[in-house]
Amino acid sequence: MNNNITILGVGNTIYSDDGVGIRVVERLEKEYDFPDNVLVVDGGILGINLLGVISNAGRLIVVDTVLNHGRPGDIHRLEHDQIPTRILAKNSLHQVDLIEALTLCQALEHVPRTTVIGVEPRDLDTLSEELTPEIAAKVDELMEETLEELVRLGGSYTLKG
Amino acid sequence: MGKKIIIDPITRIEGHLRIEVEIENGRVKDAWTSGQMFRGIEMMLQGRDPRDAHHFVQRSCGVCTYIHALSSVRAVEDACKIEIPENARIIRNLLHGAQYQHDHIVHFYHLHALDWVDIVSGLSADPVKTAKLSENVSGRPNSSDYFREVQAKLSTFVNSGQLGPFNNAYWGHSAYKLSPEANLMASSHYLEAIKLQAKAARMHAIFGGKNPHPQSLVVGGVTCAGDLTPERIDEFTDIWKETKAFVDEVYIPDILAVASFYKDWTAIGGNNTTYLSYGDFPQQGINDDLLLPGGVLMGNLTPVPVDTERITEDVTRAWYEKGDAKHPFEGETNPIKGEVTYNTDDKYTWMKAPRYDGKSSEVGPLARNLVAYTSGQKEVKALVDHVLKTLGLGIDALFSTLGRTAARGIETVVVGNAMGEWIDTLKSNIASGDKKTYQPWEMPDKGRGFGLNDVPRGALGHWIDIEGGRIKNYQYVVPSTWNLGPSDGKNQKGPVENSLIGTPIADPKQPIEVLRTVHSYDPCIACAVHVIDPHTNETYKVRII
Repeated sequence: MNNNITILGVGNTIYSDDGVGIRVVERLEKEYDFPDNVLVVDGGILGINLLGVISNAGRLIVVDTVLNHGRPGDIHRLEHDQIPTRILAKNSLHQVDLIEALTLCQALEHVPRTTVIGVEPRDLDTLSEELTPEIAAKVDELMEETLEELVRLGGSYTLKG
Repeated sequence: MGKKIIIDPITRIEGHLRIEVEIENGRVKDAWTSGQMFRGIEMMLQGRDPRDAHHFVQRSCGVCTYIHALSSVRAVEDACKIEIPENARIIRNLLHGAQYQHDHIVHFYHLHALDWVDIVSGLSADPVKTAKLSENVSGRPNSSDYFREVQAKLSTFVNSGQLGPFNNAYWGHSAYKLSPEANLMASSHYLEAIKLQAKAARMHAIFGGKNPHPQSLVVGGVTCAGDLTPERIDEFTDIWKETKAFVDEVYIPDILAVASFYKDWTAIGGNNTTYLSYGDFPQQGINDDLLLPGGVLMGNLTPVPVDTERITEDVTRAWYEKGDAKHPFEGETNPIKGEVTYNTDDKYTWMKAPRYDGKSSEVGPLARNLVAYTSGQKEVKALVDHVLKTLGLGIDALFSTLGRTAARGIETVVVGNAMGEWIDTLKSNIASGDKKTYQPWEMPDKGRGFGLNDVPRGALGHWIDIEGGRIKNYQYVVPSTWNLGPSDGKNQKGPVENSLIGTPIADPKQPIEVLRTVHSYDPCIACAVHVIDPHTNETYKVRII
């Protein structure tokens, strides 16, 4: 098991709150420095193209929106076993999502232990680069949660000087 | 009236492509393809800086990021009359070539193979016989112990309740023709291909920064000059070599092995229509000496040059207000007022119907192969002839579902070989001190241009109109719209619709035969569909995930 920790933001920055995971990793990269074993990645909506990134991680922290029947702005933390595994038959390779990419990793004989830090979105439909105000207000908290998780996993960070 | 079956969505997953076929006497009598949702990025681009367009378009699809970005910068470079340096052309070709290697392998093993390979049948295979089979047909034979291990792994997946990666409703269908041993061998390659895929995707990261989004493209060239060290180039070369070995030793032999069991599919899924290739991989200048030539086959085997003025989009059968077929520069998006009703006798999709010279036109690997073959592209011609000879087939066999699948493999080889030459040229340029990758330029007040690109799924074009240094209008016509678009004002069906007509269906409840042909086009649904909610004028999201 390698000691690399990957922080992976996923989502689509042009559909409002769907981009929150990306906004979090953008801010982390801008405001903090990380040691060589910590990788911060903007995974966008790359789906199956993230297999390489995922399978190279010793531990994985995913920042994303999570739909969990909660109120917009609720922050969820999903541990490894709580993340469902599934692969759906598909018509297009463009329908592979993160959960599916994680499951496909089984064939690579290495699924990194994963934590998802997610926030319940308000709006995933409007074509906009902006987060809704209530989700934008959660970005700081999501960053803190992510950094805490990083430390819990043995990683570290420093504020940019 | 025959029996109608509707596959909606075709995948049983949240999806946006609806296929309806009417069956009579065990064959498809008529077919309709419908895009059920929409992408509205073009509207978002209006008024923005043309230099930023590629950042947006690459977010429209998770698989097609690089190629949309490439079309976009080409369109702006055309509008602003910018000539990029040779090294930029080579690096773009290498990244685009890497996309071909990656996408075609993934398409074959992770989408299409399961239409032909029955994974569950592989569980009853004899590992010793499978090892013998792999010695005979595969360039990468394996031992019986290896196949025993693969069987154990497969049964873990199959017994996990959800069939793991192999969730498919059609196991045991009479349309599956491979022996249990061939099924096991192909399944082992499915697993190998996942590992290879994870590596191949890294080729993009090497010249594009650590992030998986390609960030090295800019209008005027590429910005990865700092990555052009011998170590980085060697890293790229190593993955390219490994990928190429997989293509030569595994992918191509598997296509031939599968095809030998399914020769009837060289007479199914063809398309008596126009074939359009923009061509790609300029080997000189901006658009000169294309590795895969551009051209159009208008119902015969004599290619004519592409004239983009002949491209129009027809909205007669799509959910837009009536209007003449328009060139992309004049393209507009006026959803019908009132309720949207799915009616195959009238309007039934959000996709417009692109036409070349008024004709429904297939794009993609088969179109590229046919244009290259008939243009005398030597390498394509040699490979096509080799495949046909090995299988004992004539050129007519190409016009089929299997022809499309073989064409994809053939161009993977051709592009993969060319990548080796591009790497050598890049190395020698750098060694001789030529490290230029960017051409400075100035934004004109006005300009019109387009960026053509022949991407893994087919002909892609972005059209841009600049005014006051800002984007006035932006349109793209993507491969899946060409292939999956609807009928038009002259009742000419779209290519996939045409291809489905006549397909034999053994069991209307399990129409795997329909999937084979639809999958052979490698549809990119997320890219293909434009939509607005006509009531609120809101743009709706296509969730790619």
